[in-house]
Amino acid sequence: MSQAFDKVLDARGMNCPMPLVNARKEAGKMEPGQVLKVMATDRGSVADFQGWAKIAKNVELLGQEEESVEGANVYVHYVKRIG
Amino acid sequence: MTISIEPVWTAEDLLSSLERRDKFFVLDVRNRDEFERFRLEGREPLPALNVPYFEMLELGGQDEMVDSVVACVEQHFEGQIPRDLPVLSVCAKGDTSEYVRQGLERLGYSGAHLKGGMKSWGQHYSTGVVIETPELAIYQVWRPARGCLSYVVASDGKALVIDPLRHLHPYLELAGEKGFKIECVIDTHGHADHISGGTALAAECGAPYYLHPYDAIHPMDALPATIPYNAIRDGQIFKVGRVELEAIHIPGHTLGLVALRLGDRYLFSGDSICIGSISRPDLGGKADAWAPLHGRSLRKLAALPGKIIVLPGHFSSLAEQNDSGLFAAPLDTLKQSNPGMQLLTQESEEGFVRYLLEHLPPFLSEYVDIKRVNAGLLAPSEDEASQLELGKNVCGLAAAGICKGETE
Repeated sequence: MSQAFDKVLDARGMNCPMPLVNARKEAGKMEPGQVLKVMATDRGSVADFQGWAKIAKNVELLGQEEESVEGANVYVHYVKRIG
Repeated sequence: MTISIEPVWTAEDLLSSLERRDKFFVLDVRNRDEFERFRLEGREPLPALNVPYFEMLELGGQDEMVDSVVACVEQHFEGQIPRDLPVLSVCAKGDTSEYVRQGLERLGYSGAHLKGGMKSWGQHYSTGVVIETPELAIYQVWRPARGCLSYVVASDGKALVIDPLRHLHPYLELAGEKGFKIECVIDTHGHADHISGGTALAAECGAPYYLHPYDAIHPMDALPATIPYNAIRDGQIFKVGRVELEAIHIPGHTLGLVALRLGDRYLFSGDSICIGSISRPDLGGKADAWAPLHGRSLRKLAALPGKIIVLPGHFSSLAEQNDSGLFAAPLDTLKQSNPGMQLLTQESEEGFVRYLLEHLPPFLSEYVDIKRVNAGLLAPSEDEASQLELGKNVCGLAAAGICKGETE
């Protein structure tokens, strides 16, 4: 997937809940329509971002990817600011 | 009312608290499906509220986690979290729960959080002493969250391990501490609910690993196991120091299930007779064919001397613990108290089989893969292994309610 994005949040190495707390803060500062790319190493973030996007009013989860960066699994979440 | 408790509970603290039957409330902030699949239980499920942490963030609407917890609980859950009980905050790995504890503390609740989260609880082991003499020692090594029991039988500095669970440290540490050498490892059957530590422990100790050959074929795949094993035969004697264990082939739960009998003293029953239930015959996907075998095998065990102490492979609830904290009871007692055993005595062979087949609990799809892992047909990563083993086993019929006295 080659998803376009406007900003990157590097949350690698952060434990739960910080990837989501920080993504939520960043998304709050963005303009509607803009996309935030979140990179996390916490595997639990995959289900958590899905659950969060379902209930949060002003974000939409465009997609998720799993990559291997320098031997570590990185979970990427594309979060779009809406409304 | 002021309650004072330690703010951080380890899995061991939690187990002590559950065993003491302390009263406390659980605030679980994991996803709803994680909570549904695997939650904290004592003798029965604990009073609990599940609010995923990201819902707390949205409902509380604050930038920081602790502030959101405060706002969210104040505005939405004030009446739902009791003030007169300690509140244990729980999450997946034990990081978020500390923020939740801090939020609750700010609101004046008395609370703690579970260090390492449900992951750590799921992997916690405990060891009980069944008997400890120079001639014979038996240790019950168990995983409280999963309901899995395993055994170390030691005599004269030698030990045999029955149904070792996935993590080897409890057995290796026990052997080091008590000064015995593990010389034999036996799986009573090919497990469906948990990943066996059998072949790994045998390799680690340079000991032979034993399994009945019927369980060295995956029942659904009809493929042979790739693990190295020695075949157990009915009646085979395993010598450990001064004692002997005799294998009794009791097909039903699996085709290759064996119980191990130590004279008239102890019966390691595998997944057949448990304390509060009997095992299910359908985990190989062949319930119609296996249930009659299961009934006959249970009758064979029921005919053993009544004073023999049954040491099962599973439990369904901490309510099955006896006063010494062990999952163990004389066969005669179980014939009276275990609803599955009552059914066996009261019903005809056909009636018993019909009842079993009509009361099968839901089948978990993970169990097919776990059997593959145990046969060496699948090699999961550590993460995948934890995921496969999440939650409590449902090997017993108690999961369907049949063994809670509902023998209508």
